[in-house]
Amino acid sequence: MGLLTNLVDHLKAIGTGLKYLIPRRLTLMYPEYVEKLPEGYRGYLRYDNEKCIHCSLCARICPANAIKMYRGGDKKLRPGINYTRCIFCGFCADICPTGALEYTTIQDIAYEKLEDQVYPPEKFAKGVPQPVYPEKPIFIIAKVDEERGLKYDRV
Amino acid sequence: MYDLINYLWETGLNLLFSPEIFEPLVFPGLIAAFSLLIVVIWLERKIAAIIQMRYGPYYISRHTEGALQLVADLLRFLFSEVIIPKSVDKIAYVLAPIILFAFTFLPIVVIPVSKDFAAIDHEYSLLIALALMTLYSSFLLIVSWASNNKFSFIGGLREGFLSLSYEIPLIISALSAAVLFDSFNLIEIVEKQAAMGWGIFYNPLAAIVFLVVIIYSTSRYPYEIAEAESEIVIGPFTEYTGILFGLGMGISYIKLYSMSLLYAVLFLGGWEPVVWPLNLHPVLPGIILFIKAFIIVAFSVFLRAVYPRYRIDQALRIAWWKLFTLAFLSLLFSYGIKIIEVMG
Amino acid sequence: MSEEGYMLLQIGPQHPGSGHMRMLVKLDGDVIVDFIPDVGYVHRTVEKIAETKLYIQNIPLLEKPILNDSGNANLAYIIAVEKLLDVEPPPRAQYLRTIMAELSRIASHLYGIGILSILIGSSTGFMWAFGDREIFIHLMQMMSGARITYSYMVPGGVRRDLPDQFREEFRKAARYMRRRYKDYEKIIIKNPVTRARLEGVGVLSREKAIEWGTVGPNLRASGVAYDVRKVEPYAAYEDIDFEIAVREEGDCYARLLVRFQEIMESLKIIEQALEKIPNGKILAEKYEKMIQPRAKKLVEGTGRIKFPAIYVNLKPPKGEVFSRVESGKGEITVYLVSNGSPKPYRLRFVTPSFRNLLTFKNLIPGHRLADFPAIYGSLDYFPPGADR
Repeated sequence: MGLLTNLVDHLKAIGTGLKYLIPRRLTLMYPEYVEKLPEGYRGYLRYDNEKCIHCSLCARICPANAIKMYRGGDKKLRPGINYTRCIFCGFCADICPTGALEYTTIQDIAYEKLEDQVYPPEKFAKGVPQPVYPEKPIFIIAKVDEERGLKYDRV
Repeated sequence: MYDLINYLWETGLNLLFSPEIFEPLVFPGLIAAFSLLIVVIWLERKIAAIIQMRYGPYYISRHTEGALQLVADLLRFLFSEVIIPKSVDKIAYVLAPIILFAFTFLPIVVIPVSKDFAAIDHEYSLLIALALMTLYSSFLLIVSWASNNKFSFIGGLREGFLSLSYEIPLIISALSAAVLFDSFNLIEIVEKQAAMGWGIFYNPLAAIVFLVVIIYSTSRYPYEIAEAESEIVIGPFTEYTGILFGLGMGISYIKLYSMSLLYAVLFLGGWEPVVWPLNLHPVLPGIILFIKAFIIVAFSVFLRAVYPRYRIDQALRIAWWKLFTLAFLSLLFSYGIKIIEVMG
Repeated sequence: MSEEGYMLLQIGPQHPGSGHMRMLVKLDGDVIVDFIPDVGYVHRTVEKIAETKLYIQNIPLLEKPILNDSGNANLAYIIAVEKLLDVEPPPRAQYLRTIMAELSRIASHLYGIGILSILIGSSTGFMWAFGDREIFIHLMQMMSGARITYSYMVPGGVRRDLPDQFREEFRKAARYMRRRYKDYEKIIIKNPVTRARLEGVGVLSREKAIEWGTVGPNLRASGVAYDVRKVEPYAAYEDIDFEIAVREEGDCYARLLVRFQEIMESLKIIEQALEKIPNGKILAEKYEKMIQPRAKKLVEGTGRIKFPAIYVNLKPPKGEVFSRVESGKGEITVYLVSNGSPKPYRLRFVTPSFRNLLTFKNLIPGHRLADFPAIYGSLDYFPPGADR
């Protein structure tokens, strides 16, 4: 009896393996396909120099000491960020009372040098770094699917 | 002058196509085995990847789904430095995997490709093939001992235990095929199957035992015990680098291939049926044999995606209790068929 | 440990089956006679760092050690801080926390199952579990905006409301997971090789489990129906009807089954929570009214909140509090001492893996070398969590 159920279980395992031989892949082929992240994803930060009220809350809340206040030519404090330390918790953007700091959905940036990842206020205000892909990627949106787990729809 | 060149060309060609040279070197020997190695390792990774819902090898050649992955791997192995640790037994460390690799090829020599095409057409070719297959584990033991590494040592020990236990069911189940067809000559065995029908239908028990032993002895899952990665890193080849490691990686696949060829000859009717385009040249029926062996190889590597691995004591218990008993029963079964044949 | 006749095997930290820790195994043939887990390879002085940071800054810090179950680690700390500050989060926030904690538990269990599978050699179990974990990570990313380090809960509530599509996405995910469970059952759970490797291996008796202070699914697999969610309900667990997954055998197989059972139970909990979740604020009134009106206007309609400026200057009154939650791997306890300054005076952070260490050490001797990865994986021991 035990031997028979054992045999059935063996056959069931092999059968399941055979069943899955029809390709139904979960992998996202990055960087040919790039996920367009939903609004509200905590990625790289955008800093708006105009909106900043020099309150330093962002630097004070930063858990990783990534944000530092720099004193500019006009004697006002402005935040600069060091992305080598940033942990993308988004606390700075959430505490910013004017929306001068906001998170973007950009997350995949590669740097050649460590120093490049330090953004003093002037560089920080210039805009968010843009990712570089080897060829033009196809942007997709990930969605849960009952059959396949995750489904990637083209934007 | 022209005559001489012509003469040399013809003798050369004849020599190349003589079974004694062609079989070990081209088909089903060295070249065929190497191309199979390249395909099979890719196939193994691809099958596992598809079952596991991922892509597997891909970027090395996108249009062929990464089929050239192993070529790239081999090139990398060839050009990476072979580091020989200070603490190893140098001669054994370097020579053992090479000799092991060469010896794993040997059983292929006695396996005939067709009725008129065999390198060694011997009365006892089945026994020669079986005997040559048992050389494998002794050299693997040398590999593990020469490495002077605890993980290699444990891996070698495990391989030793396993080889002691799988060789008996292997030989008995092969012998039950020999009893069934009344011959030790592989060509005769295939001829008999052409007349009677495939061995797997006459003695399915022996066929199943032999298949399990193939999986068992070539450390395919669930018997991948001597190399168990999460326990003993990579077993006997822990200390190896570069091309020596590459050889080690290929050895079990070559062994799998040679055993599958033998399986196809013993139980799957060998090169039968020989239909029209195949009867033009004596080497052509070998294609059928190769396809049959390939199916066995593909099934064995497919199991990687299905099973975890057994523990060593469980594997030994399976070999000594289940496989040994079943192999013996299959031998009796063959005798039973023989008796019925004689009586009826 | 170097007498004649024994082999001393050093497994890790650079070993495919060790994880981030070093383990010394004394072998008599194939049988392990002595076992020393040498912890501390990834020790990060989390408790000491916590004393140098603001209360709010410790949220991401405490998530890091238990990275694969960060939702629960976050919750344990926030409950302690809220006790110190004497704030009560609104009911909707409580439900959102429950949902986050359960999603995090599912992800953690899938992680544990995957690691156990690869340690006993089943690469399919590993890839499937990690692949399916991605779906729950996707759901948590929808809720929190990050893949792994959610930092979702803050003192007084949560940072974001439920996104619109979340219900629909979760419904699909739950259906997918239930359907997939049948395949898991065939290829891993009931696979005769898995059963041979796990059944009767690493048996932890009820008495020993209690004596050694085992926590989490490992304890419940030994027949002790102890779950902090039931014993001391936190978040919204009081209103939710669920069962504790218990098994009597106490072996590696029972631990695997308990994990699968808990995944299924968690799906039910989230479904209930999504049904019962009340409408309302997601941040406590006390902090809600401190947010500047112009800041509030910025996030109107997005479901997100802005932090009040007080968060950089949280000064709880003097006192000591203790909090605990049931995380995927077991009970996380936080003991927090405040001296009235904006930084904790002392933070004691006890992780489930740390508490299971004794079980791990005592369970191994007497087994075969090949059982070592099976037991290691079945305990879901996570070295960075234990080392902190």
